[in-house]
Amino acid sequence: MEKQVEVPPGLIHFAMLDDVLNMARANSLWPMTFGLACCAIEMMATGASRFDMARFGCEVFRPSPRQSDLMIVCGTISKKMAPAVMTLYDQMPEPKWVLAMGNCAISGGPFKFPGQYGIVEGVDQLFPVDVYVPGCPPRPEALIEGILKLEEKLRGKRCFPTVEAQ
Amino acid sequence: MSDTVVWSSIYVLAFLVGGLTIGVASMVLAWLLAPKRTRMVYQKTLRSIECGVAPIGPARIRFGVVYYLYALIFVAFSVDVLFLFPVALVYNEKSGWLDFAEVLLFVGILALVIVYAWKKGIFSWKSKLKSPQA
Repeated sequence: MEKQVEVPPGLIHFAMLDDVLNMARANSLWPMTFGLACCAIEMMATGASRFDMARFGCEVFRPSPRQSDLMIVCGTISKKMAPAVMTLYDQMPEPKWVLAMGNCAISGGPFKFPGQYGIVEGVDQLFPVDVYVPGCPPRPEALIEGILKLEEKLRGKRCFPTVEAQ
Repeated sequence: MSDTVVWSSIYVLAFLVGGLTIGVASMVLAWLLAPKRTRMVYQKTLRSIECGVAPIGPARIRFGVVYYLYALIFVAFSVDVLFLFPVALVYNEKSGWLDFAEVLLFVGILALVIVYAWKKGIFSWKSKLKSPQA
């Protein structure tokens, strides 16, 4: 997988230092404590002891967008909630990544039908998304896989083995 | 000046310069390496509230002082009790009617403070504020 990091550059940057920084970023993502709907329950389960996101270094859920670098959009984005979500995205400092979790965050999911007026049909209508995790809701394993995909995107390679479907 | 004093001064100076260098260098490094901007979609990066929702009204509002006055009276009396502890400590040693009268006078004057606060209406739970936030 090609490494693609869209971080607005600083005044100076070094290729080697960027590699080191991206390795650090990939292994210590700080997600934002932020749930929109039922997918958030799966996100909490992912953070809790059975699935334990901490094994992949991204268990430090931050209560403020200014401290976090990963926004897990987990749930339906109603049109009323969209300004709040966009504000939170704006308030996250660079580098920042967005993970769309669940069908609602990807495309509107089951709430998308001709003539609907209440929801935003996918978070990518609001701001760029890095990883999509399908499911309704996705299992915690799927979210972890999404985070590993993000790591792959950051570093250009993957440290953890891929699990084949049986 | 003796040798020791000179060398000690040099050490202090070296540590001062070293400390300043490390402090300033970390700031300069961060300024050079940090991304200069953040991607915005809603132009709300500088909003001070970090929950995403627009703040309702200004932060400089007037609070009701009802509980504050009550708490102030409590603090005043707890300090007064501190004055009574030494009295209780020595009272059993040797005391006469005069000592009793002195303590009674002290507590009596304190009691007048309660009466004063009572008269001021501190113990009735009524907001003295006429603003919408009350």
